[in-house]
Amino acid sequence: MIEGKGISKEFRSGRGRVQALADVSFSIETGKAVAVVGKSGSGKTTLLNCVGGLERPERGKVSCFGVDILSLSGKALCLFQRRNAGFVFQYGNLLSYLTVFENVAFPLTLKGIRGKGKEKRVQELLERIGLPDVGAALPHELSGGELQRVSVARAIAHSPKMLLADEPTSSLDSTTGWNLIELMFDMGKEQGCTMVVSTHDPEIIDLADASIHLRDGKITKEDR
Amino acid sequence: MLPSLGFWIKTAFLFLFRSGRSTAVLSLMLLTAVATLIFLSALAVGISDAMIRNSVSLYSGHISGFALPQALKRENLFVEGVTNVLKRLSRYGILSNEGRIETVVLIGIDPLEELKSAAIWKKTLKGKYLKGRESAVFLSRPLAEKLDVEPGEDLRFSSGPGAASTRFTVSGIYQTGIDQLDRSIAFCPLAVIPAGAETWSAAIFLEEGADPESVISIYHRALSEEYDFKSWAELMPDLKQLVDLNYISMGFVTVLVFGVVSLGIACAFVIFILKNLREYGIMKAMGATPGEMALLIVAEVILMNLAACFIGVLVGVLAVFVVGKTGIDLTAFTSHNRYFTVSAVIFPRLTFYSLGLPPALAFLGSLAAAIWPAVLVARRKAADVLRIV
Repeated sequence: MIEGKGISKEFRSGRGRVQALADVSFSIETGKAVAVVGKSGSGKTTLLNCVGGLERPERGKVSCFGVDILSLSGKALCLFQRRNAGFVFQYGNLLSYLTVFENVAFPLTLKGIRGKGKEKRVQELLERIGLPDVGAALPHELSGGELQRVSVARAIAHSPKMLLADEPTSSLDSTTGWNLIELMFDMGKEQGCTMVVSTHDPEIIDLADASIHLRDGKITKEDR
Repeated sequence: MLPSLGFWIKTAFLFLFRSGRSTAVLSLMLLTAVATLIFLSALAVGISDAMIRNSVSLYSGHISGFALPQALKRENLFVEGVTNVLKRLSRYGILSNEGRIETVVLIGIDPLEELKSAAIWKKTLKGKYLKGRESAVFLSRPLAEKLDVEPGEDLRFSSGPGAASTRFTVSGIYQTGIDQLDRSIAFCPLAVIPAGAETWSAAIFLEEGADPESVISIYHRALSEEYDFKSWAELMPDLKQLVDLNYISMGFVTVLVFGVVSLGIACAFVIFILKNLREYGIMKAMGATPGEMALLIVAEVILMNLAACFIGVLVGVLAVFVVGKTGIDLTAFTSHNRYFTVSAVIFPRLTFYSLGLPPALAFLGSLAAAIWPAVLVARRKAADVLRIV
């Protein structure tokens, strides 16, 4: 289970203090897919970052599968992330100097998986996302949809317990976006991942097991 | 199990290799700096070499032996590193010409052997240098002027007033520009020097790079501690200081130039690393630790340095080799300089320091330049990095 209790996070910028999250509490059951819904600036990305340990809230508690991730030291948090978390970013965010194969293999190597096992897993994933022949390509040689599919493969390669996707379809047309979402949900469920997907796409909300609605950093509605 | 060091080195290599143009430009800066400094250092060594070569090859040799007994043969002084030993006999006396007299040191030399190593013959102004056994003298210009003689005219040498005199014909007149050699000295062949003291002196010439002090130690061990040998550094402390000064100045220049270059390289490195900030942010989001990020950046810097320094050393060595073939003629700037009396052609020479110091400085400078970006990347949260890029 993923739990957040009383999470608050604010940012300082040229426009003053911005309350990104204000006393947010939620729980997500293991193996479920949850959509975090809200307009731009509502705090969706910040919530995902807090859950994934990329961001440290000023107040509150984040527990992932029984681990209080905010109590972990810097290195322990990194080790937790590399074993348990997979991220799909808005724009793919593949490592531009590594090939597709090397990108998908990266989290496997971080997890300590090497040799033939790693190669087999990467090839399986590339076939699963329908891109078996792009292993040697560099990210800039791929289309937006292909980039996101590779990004999903990379996020899921090391069989993480949770898959966090931050508006994964926002840079794609609707058909490509829908195909990607289907692929991501299918693969996530195959792996038994708990998925948290930020979006404002109603179709994704329908596909998810539950949804958390945010506005101005506060939860306005929870659907289960 | 954590990924191995090899994984991060490989990743660093891929980053560098696949960002070819940025890597090439940055490497070009480094290799140019390394190559330039290797060449400049070699040139400094070449200038010192030229000053020493000019000073010792004119007359004195790298080592001078004084008051050596006749029992000690010239052949005994040929040890490892010695290229030639010139035997000289000195007689104090008077040279006279039609009522003009001058107190002189008449030095008996072996003209043929002197031609092989000593360059005083190159300073001939009038007439000719000495030949094997002729009864002739080779005079300095001031002495010839005081005695009012020209080549082909006769002079008489006697060991003192009332002593028997020997007739010599003036073979040639020289001028070195060095007071000690231009003042009251005359040379004649060993075969014709008047009888006198039993001791002789030696001018010992060494191979390039041979250490005079080591050769003197060998003489003292193998022959006798009592023999009086002095290195050029002892006999010419002014030259020694000048050589040291040259190295120190070059050291300052090297450090200053590299200080400035390092600043440029540091800025370029920072830009290079910040350009890849997004990549580091993504890696951190995947769970790469701050230590691994710092390791990756340091590996990038080291790999780039190794490649750039290697090519820089090759270019520098090549430049030294090419220029070393012909040398750089600085005659126009040294014509009144006593340390360049024989030749002002500078041959750059590589030494351990001239070859090793520039890449070592480049390496350390770049490593220092990588510290700030490495710390920046290691300390920044992944979300911050991804937000700002």
